[in-house]
Amino acid sequence: MRYESARLAGFSASAEENRRGGFDSGFFLLVLLLLSMGVVMVLSSSYARAYYDPGGITGGNAAYYFVRQLIFAALGVGAMLLASRLPMGLYRRWAFPFLALTLVLLMLVPLIGVKANGSRRWLGVGGLTVQPSELAKLAVILAFSHMICRIRGRMRSFRWGILPFGGVLAVIVGLLVLEPHFSASIIIIAIGGVMMFLGGAGLGWFIAAVGAAGGALAVLLAFFPYASSRISTWLDPFSSSSDEGYQIVQSLYSIGSGGLSGLGLGRSRQKFLYLPEEHNDFIFSVVCEELGFIGAALILALFALLILRGYWIALHCRDRFSFLVCAGVTTLLAVQVFLNVAVVTNLVPCTGISLPFFSYGGTALLIQLGEMGIILSASRDILERRE
Amino acid sequence: MAEKHEQPPAGAPNRQMLRRALFLMFLCGVAAFAALLARLWKLQIVDHEKYEQMAIEQQLREAPTSAARGVIYDANMEPLAVSASVDNVYLSPAEIEMYGEDKELIARKLSELLELDYEEVLEKASRSGSWYVTVARKLEREQADLVREFKNEYGLRGVRLETDVKRYYPNSSLACHVIGFVGTDNYGLEGIEAQYDSALAGSTGRTLRATNAFGTDLLFSQFEEYVPGEDGFDIVTTLDSGIQFFIEKHLKQAVEDYDILNGAGAIAMDVNTGAILAMASLGNYDLNDFLAVSPEAQAAVDAAETPEEAQALLSAAQARQWRNKALSDTYEPGSTFKIITLSMALEENAVSPSDTFYCGGSVNVLGRTSPIRCWKTQGHGSQNLTQAVQHSCNAAFVNIGQRVGAETFYRYCEAFGFLNLTEDPDENLSAVTGIDLAGESGSIWWSRNTFCSPKNLSQLAAASFGQTFTITPLQLITAVSACVNGGKLMQPYVVSQMLNPDGSLAYERKPTVVRQVISPETSAQVRSMLEQVVGDPNEGTGRNAAVAGYRIGGKTGTSEKVSLEAQTGEKEYIVSFIGFAPADDPKIAVLIFLDTPSNESGIYVSGGQMAAPVVGRMMADILPYLGVEPSLSGEAAENMDVPMPDLKDLSRAEAANRLEKAKLRVRTIGSGERVTAQLPAPGTVIAAGTEVILYLGAEPSADREQVPDLTGMSYREARDALSYYGIYIQTASPVTDAEGQTVSSQSIAAGTAVDHGAVVEVTLISSDGSMLGRY
Repeated sequence: MRYESARLAGFSASAEENRRGGFDSGFFLLVLLLLSMGVVMVLSSSYARAYYDPGGITGGNAAYYFVRQLIFAALGVGAMLLASRLPMGLYRRWAFPFLALTLVLLMLVPLIGVKANGSRRWLGVGGLTVQPSELAKLAVILAFSHMICRIRGRMRSFRWGILPFGGVLAVIVGLLVLEPHFSASIIIIAIGGVMMFLGGAGLGWFIAAVGAAGGALAVLLAFFPYASSRISTWLDPFSSSSDEGYQIVQSLYSIGSGGLSGLGLGRSRQKFLYLPEEHNDFIFSVVCEELGFIGAALILALFALLILRGYWIALHCRDRFSFLVCAGVTTLLAVQVFLNVAVVTNLVPCTGISLPFFSYGGTALLIQLGEMGIILSASRDILERRE
Repeated sequence: MAEKHEQPPAGAPNRQMLRRALFLMFLCGVAAFAALLARLWKLQIVDHEKYEQMAIEQQLREAPTSAARGVIYDANMEPLAVSASVDNVYLSPAEIEMYGEDKELIARKLSELLELDYEEVLEKASRSGSWYVTVARKLEREQADLVREFKNEYGLRGVRLETDVKRYYPNSSLACHVIGFVGTDNYGLEGIEAQYDSALAGSTGRTLRATNAFGTDLLFSQFEEYVPGEDGFDIVTTLDSGIQFFIEKHLKQAVEDYDILNGAGAIAMDVNTGAILAMASLGNYDLNDFLAVSPEAQAAVDAAETPEEAQALLSAAQARQWRNKALSDTYEPGSTFKIITLSMALEENAVSPSDTFYCGGSVNVLGRTSPIRCWKTQGHGSQNLTQAVQHSCNAAFVNIGQRVGAETFYRYCEAFGFLNLTEDPDENLSAVTGIDLAGESGSIWWSRNTFCSPKNLSQLAAASFGQTFTITPLQLITAVSACVNGGKLMQPYVVSQMLNPDGSLAYERKPTVVRQVISPETSAQVRSMLEQVVGDPNEGTGRNAAVAGYRIGGKTGTSEKVSLEAQTGEKEYIVSFIGFAPADDPKIAVLIFLDTPSNESGIYVSGGQMAAPVVGRMMADILPYLGVEPSLSGEAAENMDVPMPDLKDLSRAEAANRLEKAKLRVRTIGSGERVTAQLPAPGTVIAAGTEVILYLGAEPSADREQVPDLTGMSYREARDALSYYGIYIQTASPVTDAEGQTVSSQSIAAGTAVDHGAVVEVTLISSDGSMLGRY
């Protein structure tokens, strides 16, 4: 009865929302579990860096990063619960304005962005910084889902199935290249491609795209020594273990020395300033070192369960928009987890991708939890059992 | 059904969408994670040990925990070498960079405090990739404290200090060649420091600890392993600092008096044990600054035209000053070797004390075209064995050698440790004493076939009086000790004990008898003959080594540097003397050798004129130091130095009476009845017969007097010349002929200003015609 009324209430943002069903508690609990582990790992991985940086932002306070991450986690859970209460129709209605806002922010980044490590990727808002590229990922998912719902049967054609999507991606990637932000470009292209794939674009286009990407990569390697040095570092990081390969070598030391059961929570040695970015992009290396293969595998299994549950929710959505958003967000999550772990284990060449729920970064965590909230929102609309 | 809404529902996802979503679900939810898990399995399980090893290598720092280097003591437990803690200063440029510390400030202050080059320190401070760049080593506490103060004042983390050890030698240059020194890395480089390096050093312990990338400790300790070090042994040497001091003092004065051009050396040995009591080699150097060379050598270095040449000169000068001539130089011993020839001849009964030897000034030898000349060209005439030894007669010793025979002679040379026989009779032979000091050279002898050729006795003949082979001074004194100690050849040594850090005995060296070479009876004969060389004031060629009140035996040596003459045509000599005392029961033997005295010193170049008096002076200091009681008799007692009595406040008559008893003459100044002052001060030991001054109601003037040049004056002339100035004379030489004995050396150089009452010690030599010769 409850589900029936929820289905009838459908996609309205009206006051009927309190008649929607409860969200998927399995998905919710998995998020909370991973988030808690992530926050604990931020404490464990960051305190050496924070402690040894008395002249820097932490002032030598070993809990500096942890406390901030904890606050954002709390805010993020709030954001997730809020997002889960907003009806899906609302997301769809605001998909384009949101995309437009994102584009504006992306355009602002090269102009007034905060520069760090040779790139402008952040916008400062008050004391906080936000990466518009994070927002762009969600914007692409929402906007593409909306577009696919509008285009419907015409997805197979180039004019409708490729051109508009490609156009949006080109603009966003173009803006990201200005920053420059290579890894975000990859993810946005990937997630855009996945949306088009789900929406029904012809498989031939994907084959062609993969071919074109391969060709472009070959050209890049042939003519840009920077790119090819990345590849050689990837293939043999130990040949340059003191410069380009340093980060990945240190990561391999961490992961490898963890062994089966790890050195124990808090007992990483590599985090003592050997491993760079140990509480950001390389936090998973510390996880592996401290918790061992067992702990790392357990966390990956939780991620896998969360992702499978996300797809499960998507597959049970009775509305195409919700389906697309859930599958998109879940895929985004999966791509980020996969790429992050693949990078730290040197399975793919090194690039900066954070691990959702684990890597330190307040606003990114807020956005990620918000995205989970959207899936939870969609989960309210599904029937637990098909009649 | 929802048309009324702005956004029309898009309907349920179609089958293709669901299919594709299922595909993604499999790809992202299963396949991707399977790949990641496989990768983790590879890294964490398969390659675990490899990565763990590599990680541990970078995480663990091995910190050596220094073991204290042992102290080197002399025989009386006076420290000769000790270690103290000092500081090294180093920079951590990486931290200077990291904390934005002021490189220029660091370079400026450190270069000021440590007297370093500013640019160099700045360059070191700028090597930002490095965590450890040494700036200064082994700083004393005061300097290190200045650096510490500066570091703390500015809270600099890039300036760091670490403890190190430094070796100190309290006696500077004393016994430098025996003690040796350690290099900057604390390894022994010379002498005992090198020979006993591992014993002194102990074993360095180490602490293995996990560190962060800065190299400092982790916040909590884990993975720490401590391997304790063991402190080194303390080493007790046989050296006696007192004897070493006397030896060096007199040797140094000899080098100045005779203007020795090529250095000098001396060894004092316990004749009964082979223990080295002192060993010196001049020019020496300060162990605390072993790289510094003598001012003359430094001047030559400074005058060099190219840096390479300067470096070469410096290195050569350093090698020269570090060379222990007493065991690294070999020389032809000359007449001192006659002791060996005498010993073997007596032991073999080849000669007897009653045999007569005739010397006509030269002797023909089979195999030589020209006769061998005795140093006394007019010949010694007819002499008994003792006289032949006293005269150091070459002709007689050629004869004695031939009576012994080449084969026997050669065998005794082996027994005395001068050569080691081998299977090959054509091989030139060599030997070392095996002393526990680095740098010992081996002797060089003709092969057996050459030496023992029945057709040519010239090698045997020359060897009989110590020519045509080379040995080290150490070998000679070791063999001579055997000749006079009852016949036992002892192995020389310098380390007698090693002590554990708690002071308990870890190792004790017992004197090692290598072999009994001659019988105790023969040895007694040799001793008494050698005593006649020194003790006989009329015939002994070693009489200048005599010390009043002591029985001293010995033998002179003057050897021509034959190889040098062959090269340059110039005659150069090594003059030497070996003495032992007391002659009836020897305790100590002293050998000195002076390499190339100048011909212009005014003293006849020979062992008897130059080296013998020096050994006499050494003995005069050493024997009382060793507690050997003097005993006097005859003329020597008559002329023995006497102590000045205390005459203050005595009446004129009483004072005169006392002085007469003391065999002193008197001069009075003033007209009082009571003695108000005297010269010299009570207790001063001065020559008998000296005129002393009594002040009767007057006071001595505060004027200072210049010491006159006494060299060449007879003893009496010198005594009176001095007392005229109110300066007094003293000598250890027995005064047997106050007119005939002349002053060869004075303890206070001519021209020095001294107070009234000062005492000048002089060395007397006999230099009548019979004494002048190269023997």
